[in-house]
Amino acid sequence: MSPHSKLRRIGWIAALASCAALYLMLHLKVHAVHSEVVRAERQIVALEQQKMLLETEFETRSNQLQLAAWNRVDFGYTAPSAAQFLENERQLASFGRPRAPGAPEPIRVAGGHGVEAPEYPRLVSPLTGRPIDEALLEPEGSTLAAAADSGTLRIPLGAVMSGSGQ
Amino acid sequence: MNGPMTAWAVPIQVPPGRFRLVDVRRRALLLAQLRVLLVGAAFLLLALAAMLRIAWLGVVEPAPNQRSMADALLPPRGEITDRNGVPLARAFPAYALWFNPAAMADGGPPLVQSAEAVAARLKAIFPDLDAYVVARQLASGKAGYLRRRVLPEDANRVMALGELALELPRETDRHYPQGSMAAHVLGYVEDGEGRVGMEAALDARLSDPALRSQPVALSIDARVQGALEDELRRGMLSVNAVGAAGIVLDVDTGEVLALASLPEFDPNHVDDAGRSHVFNKVTNQVYELGSTFKPLAVAAAIDAGTVTNLARRYPATPFHVSGYTISDSHPLGASLNAPEALIHSSNVVTAHIVDDLGAARMKQVMADLGFNERPYIELPARGFPIWASGNWPRLQAMTVGYGHGLAVTPLHLASAYAAMVNGGIWRPATLQRVAPGHANRGRRVFKASTSARMNQLLRMIALYGTGRNANAPGFRIGGKTGSAEKPGAGGYRQSTLVSTFAAAFPMDRPRYVVIAMLDEPQGTLASSFQRTAAWNAAPIVGRLVPRVGPLLGVRPDETRDIDLTDLMPLIGEQE
Repeated sequence: MSPHSKLRRIGWIAALASCAALYLMLHLKVHAVHSEVVRAERQIVALEQQKMLLETEFETRSNQLQLAAWNRVDFGYTAPSAAQFLENERQLASFGRPRAPGAPEPIRVAGGHGVEAPEYPRLVSPLTGRPIDEALLEPEGSTLAAAADSGTLRIPLGAVMSGSGQ
Repeated sequence: MNGPMTAWAVPIQVPPGRFRLVDVRRRALLLAQLRVLLVGAAFLLLALAAMLRIAWLGVVEPAPNQRSMADALLPPRGEITDRNGVPLARAFPAYALWFNPAAMADGGPPLVQSAEAVAARLKAIFPDLDAYVVARQLASGKAGYLRRRVLPEDANRVMALGELALELPRETDRHYPQGSMAAHVLGYVEDGEGRVGMEAALDARLSDPALRSQPVALSIDARVQGALEDELRRGMLSVNAVGAAGIVLDVDTGEVLALASLPEFDPNHVDDAGRSHVFNKVTNQVYELGSTFKPLAVAAAIDAGTVTNLARRYPATPFHVSGYTISDSHPLGASLNAPEALIHSSNVVTAHIVDDLGAARMKQVMADLGFNERPYIELPARGFPIWASGNWPRLQAMTVGYGHGLAVTPLHLASAYAAMVNGGIWRPATLQRVAPGHANRGRRVFKASTSARMNQLLRMIALYGTGRNANAPGFRIGGKTGSAEKPGAGGYRQSTLVSTFAAAFPMDRPRYVVIAMLDEPQGTLASSFQRTAAWNAAPIVGRLVPRVGPLLGVRPDETRDIDLTDLMPLIGEQE
């Protein structure tokens, strides 16, 4: 065996070994990502169930019987009468009256824009803890339609994952 | 490990007497090296085996039996929603209360406090619990359910008791968030099978693994259903009626927007008292619905051309036919025309109109309206009408004309009224949501012109006749009262009535039919000590329509109404 062929053999073995090592690393990485996905799925399932629990509890507490009782007993609400409905802008305008001559100036209230008003809190992703892009909260169409389309999945998963920067 | 080493060591121990040892030290060294090599090889073998096992686990062995997310989120039974997606029935991971005496695992008593004290504290959380039975169960030390269904808030309070032996396992359960609302429409689930309502009708669909992830939308509107039940209950209690039934039907599609039968039951907790209320008065109980049939008879006569002149006057004095006298509850004068007969609800004039129409034609129209078969709806409980087969004699047709001698369900009446006001097309009622443009084609029963005329007449009854108490301003309600005596042992019982108000709104372009029915109402202060429908059933509709009209897209408008100018001269002076 010449030194040349020996060198070549060592080279082949080294290449093979490095390929095997790289493959092993890739394999481990794939498995790590996979288990991460599984964990995320489990978390989603748990959150979905929790959400359904809360939603059902909310629906139960706000059932029609309860609302009717509150409306009647606590608030004394009645159905709106015909006079409370407006057909169009013209009918609305007919309620107004032009300002009479010599009437006092209408009071104008100064509006404050962006002063002292704290920023509205943003919805935070339960998976990553970072704020969610607002465009993802209303993915094409209403949330109801999205829930009906996706069947078991109540939230658009792809949107959440991409929104949380993964 | 020790085995091979000693096995190797034994033959190397050379008996000193046989051979001459050349170099003992060298041999000993070799021996030591060999042993090290062996130990190393054993460890290497072990490591290799471990690596192979890891590779085997990672590559060949199937992954641990984990459910995919879609499986985990697939409900064990499909959800039922109303037409707007409000959940009416859903599989709900509820809690149960389980007594596990072995939970403490220290050999001591299972409970920290005495069984009686724990039972008393549980009773404080669940007032309907039998403290004595529970205390005995806790003292017996046997594991078992204390309660099958516990609400999350109650579960928290049980946890706060601090008894480890009281466990709260999660169990899948059917939950109806709206409680007793729409109970007769939904039914309930027992032993994994749907009972009574749509739970039974859709049982296969709701438990199909391929379909149950998608909720089933009913035609019911939860808000309308809630308002209907609320008003019916109020009306029923105010006149001490034994029961009430109501329905709101879309006249163009046949969709049932609300269907209520009182007294109701709670599908979340069906006990013996609840089971006795399972019977559906709207689809299963047949009644003689009395004067509400009169507009149908008049419509049949107009449609057949036997009433061409609404100004024609018929005698209103008692009518003797086949040995029987048809009379009115109170005298209405010598003669009446058809609009006046409807406004004042005259049996005699209706009998004359049906007599002109002919019994065969009358029977044909009643059959076209579906009165000779069970009502069309998905619910399993559908009552068969009391329908006289064969040729109807003259008297039979006349009594049917004012709602006696033919008993149908309130749902039959609602479908017939829908056909009368919607332009003449009869459609089967349905509890499934109908996509726009996919309504059943139905069959024509009345001409469109007949329907338009009937809309005017129904509106006149609500404006000037017995239906005045239902006339909510701006909603253009039209309808007919009916107070029928219930048949009992030995003929009709005069004081036991079924009072019905069958209405439609808005009459200038009818969209919904509303039926309110009270079973055995009494004369109370609330009904001015009257038992008839004008005083108990009509006000229910008058209160209900303003509540549901705006929700259903009917805006009240007092400047609008159906044109009655051509009929006004026929009915004389009205207040």
